[in-house]
Amino acid sequence: MSAVWRASRAAVRRRKLQTTIIGVVVLLSTATITIALALLAAAAAPFDDAFSQQSGAHVVATFDSSKVSDVRLAQTAHRQGVRAAAGPFGEAVVVVPDGTPGIAAGPLTVVGRSGSDSPVDHLNLWAGRWPTGPGEIVLNSRPSGRGASFPPEFMVPLPGGSKLRVVGFASSVSQSAGAWVTPDQLAGLHPQSVQMLYRFADPGTDQSISAGLATATAGLPSDALTGSQSYLALKKAVAGQTDAYVPFLMTFGVLGLVVAVLIVANVVSGAVVSGFRHIGVLKALGFTPNQVAAVYVLMISVPAVVGCLIGIVLGNVLARPLLFGVFQGLGVESVSVSLWVDVVALLGMPAVVALAALGPAMRAHRLSAAEAISAGGAPRVGRALGVQRRLGATRLPRSVSLGLGLPFARPARTVLTMAAIVLGVAAVALASGLTSTMTAYGNAEELNGAYQVEVTVGGHRPDRPAPTLSDTDTQALLRSLGAVRVTADAWQNVKFTGSTQGLNGQFLRGDSASLNYTMVKGHWLDGPGQLVVSGAFLRQRGLAVGDQVRLDLGAKEVPVTIVGQLMAYDPDGVLSNWDTLMELAPGQRASHYMVQLAPGADADAFVTAFQKASGPGLYPAKHANELNQATLTIVSFATLFTLMLAAVAALGVFNTVVLTTHERRRNLGMLKSIGMTPRQVTVMMVTSMAALGAVGGLIGLPLGVLAHRLVVPAMVRAAGIDLPASMLHVWHAPLLALLAFAGLVIAILGALIPARSAARLTIAQVLHNE
Amino acid sequence: MTSDYSSDQAIVRLDGVHKSYGDPVALNGVSLGIRAGEAVAVMGPSGCGKSTLLNMIAGLDRPTSGTVTVHGEDLGELNETGLALFRRRRIGMIFQFFNLVDDLPALDNVALAAQLTGAPTSQARKRALELLDELGVAEQRDSYPATLSGGQRQRVAVARALMNRPVLLLADEPTGALDSRSGEQVMDLLIDLNQMGQTLLMVTHDPRLARRCASRLIEFADGRVVRESTLERAA
Repeated sequence: MSAVWRASRAAVRRRKLQTTIIGVVVLLSTATITIALALLAAAAAPFDDAFSQQSGAHVVATFDSSKVSDVRLAQTAHRQGVRAAAGPFGEAVVVVPDGTPGIAAGPLTVVGRSGSDSPVDHLNLWAGRWPTGPGEIVLNSRPSGRGASFPPEFMVPLPGGSKLRVVGFASSVSQSAGAWVTPDQLAGLHPQSVQMLYRFADPGTDQSISAGLATATAGLPSDALTGSQSYLALKKAVAGQTDAYVPFLMTFGVLGLVVAVLIVANVVSGAVVSGFRHIGVLKALGFTPNQVAAVYVLMISVPAVVGCLIGIVLGNVLARPLLFGVFQGLGVESVSVSLWVDVVALLGMPAVVALAALGPAMRAHRLSAAEAISAGGAPRVGRALGVQRRLGATRLPRSVSLGLGLPFARPARTVLTMAAIVLGVAAVALASGLTSTMTAYGNAEELNGAYQVEVTVGGHRPDRPAPTLSDTDTQALLRSLGAVRVTADAWQNVKFTGSTQGLNGQFLRGDSASLNYTMVKGHWLDGPGQLVVSGAFLRQRGLAVGDQVRLDLGAKEVPVTIVGQLMAYDPDGVLSNWDTLMELAPGQRASHYMVQLAPGADADAFVTAFQKASGPGLYPAKHANELNQATLTIVSFATLFTLMLAAVAALGVFNTVVLTTHERRRNLGMLKSIGMTPRQVTVMMVTSMAALGAVGGLIGLPLGVLAHRLVVPAMVRAAGIDLPASMLHVWHAPLLALLAFAGLVIAILGALIPARSAARLTIAQVLHNE
Repeated sequence: MTSDYSSDQAIVRLDGVHKSYGDPVALNGVSLGIRAGEAVAVMGPSGCGKSTLLNMIAGLDRPTSGTVTVHGEDLGELNETGLALFRRRRIGMIFQFFNLVDDLPALDNVALAAQLTGAPTSQARKRALELLDELGVAEQRDSYPATLSGGQRQRVAVARALMNRPVLLLADEPTGALDSRSGEQVMDLLIDLNQMGQTLLMVTHDPRLARRCASRLIEFADGRVVRESTLERAA
């Protein structure tokens, strides 16, 4: 074995360039696949981990306390199929007034519990302490990672003027409440509901959970159960955002893997072909065929393992910002790359590379010693002679026609190189399409620049006083300064009657139609009592456009009809018109204005003018039309992966030109001796690859378009977004024409450096000694 | 003894040419000249610098010091492209192992030299065919190098070397890879060419080749010219 090792080590040293190419190709491919697997692994982990640690409730069930007693509810914990239960806990809704520091206005579901520990829905009390008596409250909040402080003014006001002091923050994976107090304190809030938290023996599907709940609540008054919330809906909401990244990451990861295999096979084939004499010498020295094959596989494995190790480190480093970007909004304190991802990459990539090397290595295995040693001495029979002859008869410059003929001399190498280019072009096309779609989506999310100035109304924070101007005066002032359209809005937490889950209500007044919200179904708000929501919102609640529901703001309820479905992903958001808000909360003021200026108007000048005229309490700012984080993350990583894959494909071309130069150094020497200029040599070598690039571009482009057609809908489905068809049809003639050149660019970039070094080849020795 | 390399008739002139590849010195202050129409043979033991001399004159390599002038052009003043154009216009080279392109038939191998200058394909092929005919291998015009005998390959190589009407024909062991019969044929060919006015510089180990083809013999040892002599061509 030591002889094999020594021969391999010598081969690695002798082929520094090819060893480097293999190392770099494996490095980039490993990094790509590591990132993809890391996200795939992390996608489900945060929710599952938290749910397991906190013994999350499979169902949070809310009962009308006037219809069923606590004793009867406690008995439901022992029903068949119920593995664990907690409760009954009293539940009350407190309406937080507008302007309460640090707490969103609207209904706050408060539950009475004696502590954070519980057999079901064990709360993560991540800051402060649990209430020990009356007048204290713990808010449900995701861990911020920055710690939390509890200033004296951090209070929840109650009807009648009393207040609850915030003494801690806890998070509930089951989202069972907005806040918790002691049971004694809850009694003072006059609860009308109680909640039970269940874990079932079979929680796998919506149907099994419904069946479990039905069994648990069997025998209770039919109208006692007023609402229930399944953990599957919560999980879907959490996973939806992360799942969106997986299809494109996996596509790029697999592309990287395939390109790596192609290039490794090409490199090893080249090493075998160019090392015929070496193989002959090894066999003449007494190496067995297996040992010769082992030398070649080992020769490839050394740079592959090194490249793999560095690729794993690079993948881990690059995965961190991606994972942070993906999970930062989900309340997860930290997400790291799973150990199994690194293990799979560490074992898998070298194994794949070794398999790719095995084919050409077996050729070395079969080669007879005499055949191998004599290779290169005698003139070999040319290949694709008809093609060469026809090219020679054309009017093309001879350096070009010679270059066009080169790929035909080594058809297998040509196929491998072109396949790498094809996949490189497919990656470029996919990334371009993805970028176009995501940019269109991001712009639509930002309402396509529908307004240029926004004005925030003060009074919600201690450092921002309330305005002196009324709503009407503010609106009039905005118009007098040149505003073409003004839309005002107010945010109010609401919920559907019978549900504990809070909804983020945005109520719009004025020229809201001009905001250009992208609708997928139905229509925009055009009258009172209407709602528009996202597809994710509808799916999570089993609702559809046209359904009627009741919006609940504690003391008041309003019937509304869902009239439209938005493109955006917002599982908890509802948009409605101002009239609806006035029915729920009469007299509420606008908290924000969106101002559209005339085309070409100076937004900075408008802001300055408004600041001077409006007095205190109104805070104008120029609205920056920036892409959202998800769009930026996807576009950034798609670009990064594309550059990596294009670089890998270009390295494949680079390797092919190096091999061709090495094999044809005698011809190159002869051509230079009869007057071929360095420029002509460069043109010949670059042309040989440019031809592959051009064909590869034409094949790779439709593959990229196809991948876009498959990947984007998969991402959209996973994310719970509903894209209009226009955002999928991003392929226009100028873009396609530009992308068709991607293969040419990859080929030329990969070929240029080795072609130039071929042009500078010192040929004197070659010509006289071959 | 030195030749009259300062003569106006010298087509090749080397002045104090040194060439070293690190420690070993390949050429050590070589000065010589070759007149138009001469046939000069360079002989000497292996490693004495014969092939390096040929490379210098062909512009395939550059001297460490000294000047090489061919047909009035100081090769030291030419860049790589300039050297390529110089070889294209002025030099024809014949190699021991022929150096034909395996993928091209004999005719295209010969035509290649003219096509690189931008000559139209039809014109290049016409001239190539004439040359193949003159050298007695026209019948092999469509044959590929792998199917030709050694002598035929070398004739094709000579035809290619003559394609652009070079002022100087350089031959590096032109019969070294041939059997005796083919070697004789190539020798006759070189004699004919020289008698038609072609200046010829050949490097060889073969005294018979030198005596039959050359009018002057330059003997090399340790990178220096150790002797020059005029030869009477053997019959």
